[in-house]
Amino acid sequence: MEELAEGEARGFDPLDEGQDSVFVVRRGGDLVAYRDICPHYGSTALPWRKDAYLDAGGKDIICSAHGARFAIDTGLCTAGPCLGESLIPVPLQLSDEGEVLADLNSNNSVGVVK
Amino acid sequence: MNIIGPDFLVFGVDDMESCRQYLTDYGLKAAGDDRFLALDGTGVIIKPKDDPSLPAALETPTMLRKTVYGVADQATLEAIATELSSDREVKRLADGSIESVDDMGFALGFQVTVRTTLSLPAEIVNAPGSSHQRAVNDIGVQKVAAPEPRSLSHIVYFVPDFARAEAFYAERLGFITTDRFTGVGPFMRPAGTTDHHTVFFIQTPPHMLGCEHFTFHMAGPTEVMHAGRNMVEKGYQSFWGPGRHLFGSNWFWYFKSPLGCNMEYDADMDLHDDQWTAREGAPGADNSQAFLFKYTEKWSPMGPPPGAKPQ
Ligand code: FES
Ligand SMILES: [Fe+2]
Repeated sequence: MEELAEGEARGFDPLDEGQDSVFVVRRGGDLVAYRDICPHYGSTALPWRKDAYLDAGGKDIICSAHGARFAIDTGLCTAGPCLGESLIPVPLQLSDEGEVLADLNSNNSVGVVK
Repeated sequence: MNIIGPDFLVFGVDDMESCRQYLTDYGLKAAGDDRFLALDGTGVIIKPKDDPSLPAALETPTMLRKTVYGVADQATLEAIATELSSDREVKRLADGSIESVDDMGFALGFQVTVRTTLSLPAEIVNAPGSSHQRAVNDIGVQKVAAPEPRSLSHIVYFVPDFARAEAFYAERLGFITTDRFTGVGPFMRPAGTTDHHTVFFIQTPPHMLGCEHFTFHMAGPTEVMHAGRNMVEKGYQSFWGPGRHLFGSNWFWYFKSPLGCNMEYDADMDLHDDQWTAREGAPGADNSQAFLFKYTEKWSPMGPPPGAKPQ
């Protein structure tokens, strides 16, 4: 959990699908996680290369396909194609071993993200 | 109006260093002043988003700040200046180009084209019965290749009113509609090229106004595949493709980019002249591509060596 620096984001592939399906952002000491799916098409992952989820200033989450911007703390799209829609949040739990568990509610499975 | 096609796309970006790396990895050549060029001299120009020389940013998050069209000669440039000054401001820039806006609010530049005439063979395929094949003993593909984009091909815009966009480009700039998706928008080519399209408009809500993607022509489908594979190997993420479109017949492979829109490789687009009658199709996956593939890592059906135990 200490691995991710403040203002940094990282994608994870907890279900071993061969591509990241969840990403975690550390912001103000907290970790937030979302499904790596842009609401614009509902089937596209956000980054242009692995872990590139944030703009250069670390202010917003961005989708690199058409530039949608999302608030880090709420996942709400504030500008761009999916304006007013939101990223799907992924609840995180801290396990006894200090691992962060992501609750992937669509299929009720819990994946270890790190 | 003898407009040939887009010479440059100008972006105001968030992260210059990532864009430089990306455009170079895509295959464009850095030519100084953050210009990244294809073989014929057309290309992409990036500047920091707050650079004062850029036309004003749109209210949407698009990073595209200007589309610069190459025209045949000075007379064409003057004709465009005269035409557009009838109802909007036309600026004369120090480099001899002119700058204005289209009816959607996108900044447009026009200049006597900088593109050079290429003399390069297309990908040549061998097929029984064909009189045009590779020379005997010429090899079709290499294991490692770094294909070079040849020419800036087309740009696709999200627009709130495709009919108005189409009317502007047709009536004011002489573009011709080659095909259209019902209720979505037209594919258009300027009069100075036979390419199926140098622009395509997609109808969207106003908050999407911006660039969906842009692309460069490659030598053929093999170069599209090879260039795309190189991008995947470098860690860039595919958005759509590889595949082959129906309208235009162009092969495609799109990648997400740090320029806030997708960047594509294309090849083998249809050519049309004034004899062509525009087709119309329903939008959707079925009319959008002849076929679509998904990249997977290299693999071979070889199985374990003879005598080895199956794993
Ligand atoms: S797919 Fe994310 S903005 Fe279009
Ligand atoms: Fe395209």
